[in-house]
Amino acid sequence: MGIVVRIDVELAKRKMSVGDFAEKVGLTPANVAVLKNGRAKAIRFSTLENICRVLECQPGDLLEWVED
Amino acid sequence: MKMTQFAVASLRILLVVAFALLLLLQTLSFPGQFAHMAQESPERAYLQWPLTAFAVVELLCAQVVIVSTWKLLTLVRRDRIFTGAATAWVNAIVWAVLVAWILLFALFLAVGFAADDPGAPLLLLVFVVGGAVIGLLMLVLRELLRQATTLRSDMEAVI
Repeated sequence: MGIVVRIDVELAKRKMSVGDFAEKVGLTPANVAVLKNGRAKAIRFSTLENICRVLECQPGDLLEWVED
Repeated sequence: MKMTQFAVASLRILLVVAFALLLLLQTLSFPGQFAHMAQESPERAYLQWPLTAFAVVELLCAQVVIVSTWKLLTLVRRDRIFTGAATAWVNAIVWAVLVAWILLFALFLAVGFAADDPGAPLLLLVFVVGGAVIGLLMLVLRELLRQATTLRSDMEAVI
């Protein structure tokens, strides 16, 4: 699995919709889907920063390493 | 970007003019010239068809380069030059230059040692060296394009 992005968990905690989240972070819904289903290859620090600001969390809350 | 748009538009006009000129040379001028030379000196008439074929194929290579360049310009305009689509047209240019250069080199070898004055062989040598430079430059540019394509696709995967 490698690095897993736990956006769905943080979204559920805050009861935020994906569309709402995408708009606030400034991502396309398609890119949010890529992040959520683990197909993302790379993420900009600026994107990560926006996500952390919107979800009021730390990068560590979002990214998790899972052994293969 | 404005500059590039202007350059692309101007290049397209020039490419059309160049293609038309080459077509004229290929179908009328060179065949006519060699036919005329064959009539003038019948003892060398056997050269008419080999030389005609040589001229036609050389110009065909130039036409392949023109068409490929046109296609690459289309990709530039659509911002798709750094995709796999460009590789095929760049390869077409490389192959066309290679074929043209081999033919030219063969003519140089054939004429170079048979000629009694150094003018024609020297001119051919200039073209042979020039052709080699263009061909090798194309190989370097193709590698640069490949590297840029990899970079672009890597960057596009960044969210």
